Amino acid sequence: MTPPDVHTSSAPTLVAEDIGKSFASGRLTTRVIDHLSVRIHAGELTLISGPSGCGKSTLLSILSGLQTVDHGHVYALSEHLGDMDARRLETFRLLHTGFVFQGFNLFPALTAREQVQLPLQYLGLRQAEIDARADQSLEEVGMASRRHLRPAELSGGEKQRVAIARALAKAPALLFADEPTSALDAANGQVVIDLLHRIARRHGTTVLCVSHDPRLIGHADRVVTMEDGRILDDTRPPLPDQTKAPSC
Amino acid sequence: MVSLARKTLLYEWRRFLPAILAVGFATLLQLLQAALVLGIFGGAAVYVTGSDADIWIGYPGTQSVDQGRPIDADVASLLHMDRHVGRVEPFDLLDGDWRGGHGTGGISVFVSGIRTRPGSMMFSQVLTPRLRARLAYPESVIVDPADLEKLGVRVGDTASINGHLVRVVGTAHGLRALGGVNVLTSLETARTLDPSPADTGGPTYLVARLDNPSNAAAVVARLRGHDGFGPYQAWTASQFARRSVLFWLFDTGAGAGVLFLAAIVFAVGAIITSQALMAAVVASINEYATLNALGVGKRSLRGVVLEQAFWVGACGLVGAGILTAVMVSVARSQSVPVVMNAPVMLACLALIMVLVGISGLFAMRSIRRADPATLLR
Ligand SMILES: Nc1ncnc2c1ncn2[C@@H]1O[C@H](COP(=O)(O)OP(=O)(O)O)[C@@H](O)[C@H]1O
Ligand SMILES: [Mg+2]
Repeated sequence: MTPPDVHTSSAPTLVAEDIGKSFASGRLTTRVIDHLSVRIHAGELTLISGPSGCGKSTLLSILSGLQTVDHGHVYALSEHLGDMDARRLETFRLLHTGFVFQGFNLFPALTAREQVQLPLQYLGLRQAEIDARADQSLEEVGMASRRHLRPAELSGGEKQRVAIARALAKAPALLFADEPTSALDAANGQVVIDLLHRIARRHGTTVLCVSHDPRLIGHADRVVTMEDGRILDDTRPPLPDQTKAPSC
Repeated sequence: MVSLARKTLLYEWRRFLPAILAVGFATLLQLLQAALVLGIFGGAAVYVTGSDADIWIGYPGTQSVDQGRPIDADVASLLHMDRHVGRVEPFDLLDGDWRGGHGTGGISVFVSGIRTRPGSMMFSQVLTPRLRARLAYPESVIVDPADLEKLGVRVGDTASINGHLVRVVGTAHGLRALGGVNVLTSLETARTLDPSPADTGGPTYLVARLDNPSNAAAVVARLRGHDGFGPYQAWTASQFARRSVLFWLFDTGAGAGVLFLAAIVFAVGAIITSQALMAAVVASINEYATLNALGVGKRSLRGVVLEQAFWVGACGLVGAGILTAVMVSVARSQSVPVVMNAPVMLACLALIMVLVGISGLFAMRSIRRADPATLLR
């Protein structure tokens, strides 16, 4: 099975080659990722879908360097993740990756603006640059007017948008989202997935989104369907709401 | 610059309050304990610290001022031979049995016989020149006002010491003693009160002023190794004061008690503080894990916890400092013997900062649990 690839000219930004991952629980070892290979490209939103427990989140954590593989190779931005130690992986993530999780994970004490500024401080940027980037990201997710509010004063959808702004402000080449809409209602879920889609298009970011929610399928450029640790299907659905979408 | 540590501390102050209170109370307890110990056991050296002699000559091996035995009065001539030695003064210290007016029974007192001439060294920090002059009248004594009740007398009353009549002619603050009551009188009166005049007839101590106090150690060294004067030993004033305080501190077992209590306060404070800091970390563990996923190093995250510990310590110290100052001044006004000096205070504060540091290091370990992989569902 060869994925229909419109990006034959551009090199993939995330590559998994024949990777495997097992977890031992007691005497039982479960194979969660089973001889899986995949290539993911920049400038589009790739959705990994499939039933609960099929290994989607595990695949995301492997591709983002949060977990190691038992066998196989993972390349992110052409770097071999298996060769990096914990410290170098942290540095790689600091420079290149953003994350959005199901839980928004915002510090209760910080305002929306401070949540976004905080990770930027560790990039060694000047304060003016930090402020500008934070404000721009909040603007982009539509939270500029609410930037002085703390999480307790924000709705779930707004919190997730702040979390997206926090990941986006770093200007990452890779943006990972694990079940970003699962804690939200349908309307807010739409807003969030559209935001992620727009970020991929506008910034040329590689956006890898993992979700069991079939309603997101229509909003992705490419849908990779998993089952039992393997890729079952890899398609590019037509985007009904995207008139200027590239034909495929 | 967003300080996560400070913002969290301010916003979630309730979470940190136990830690701040623990640090505060540990500080308060250590400082008050130190002040009481210095105040109470400092009383053992009141003869030295209340006087302005630079060196003290007494019986060899004397452990504490109140344990003195008579020495040869001729040692004074040896002192005068050293060109750095200025004035030399005898000081008598003897035990007495006090009988007050109102059926108070016998009370053991320490009788200090001192020179009454103006400008004398003994108790110069305690006595005004006028008070000292009053001692020149035979049978006159001066006591601490806080001891009047215990002695069953008021100023102007008479009492007896070792069966001899004495009259209280005045009071002076700063005479309270350990294990008894200090009574000041003239050398002459003291001699009449002595039930068993020493065979030698010499004083208990000789004290001397030097041309320059910084020569004290050198003079003391020179005074060593002369014989032909009977047994004697010389100390600098500060040596002798420290020797007396330490003797009482450890002879009474109070020293061990103090150290024991300090250790307990330290341990309890450290446990409460580290638990509270840890709870704060665990409460935000997902947020810390998210920062780590975004590439903020574990080391930086540990730094946040240490910074939090530092601010908790600072808040606790400031609060305790104010409380201690208030309590010490209240204690002073009630004649409770409390004394604080800079080195001891700094030692207490350093001990507390060590407590805070250790708590921070323990709490820091919970950052290990900030694993981004746990955020994936
Ligand atoms: N750290 C782990 N230890 C043991 N088992 C795990 C661990 N992480 C995931 N699993 C198991 O691996 C399987 C796939 O998990 P996951 O990748 O989270 O699935 P999905 O995200 O598709 O729902 C599940 O059965 C889960 O229980
Ligand atoms: Mg999952």
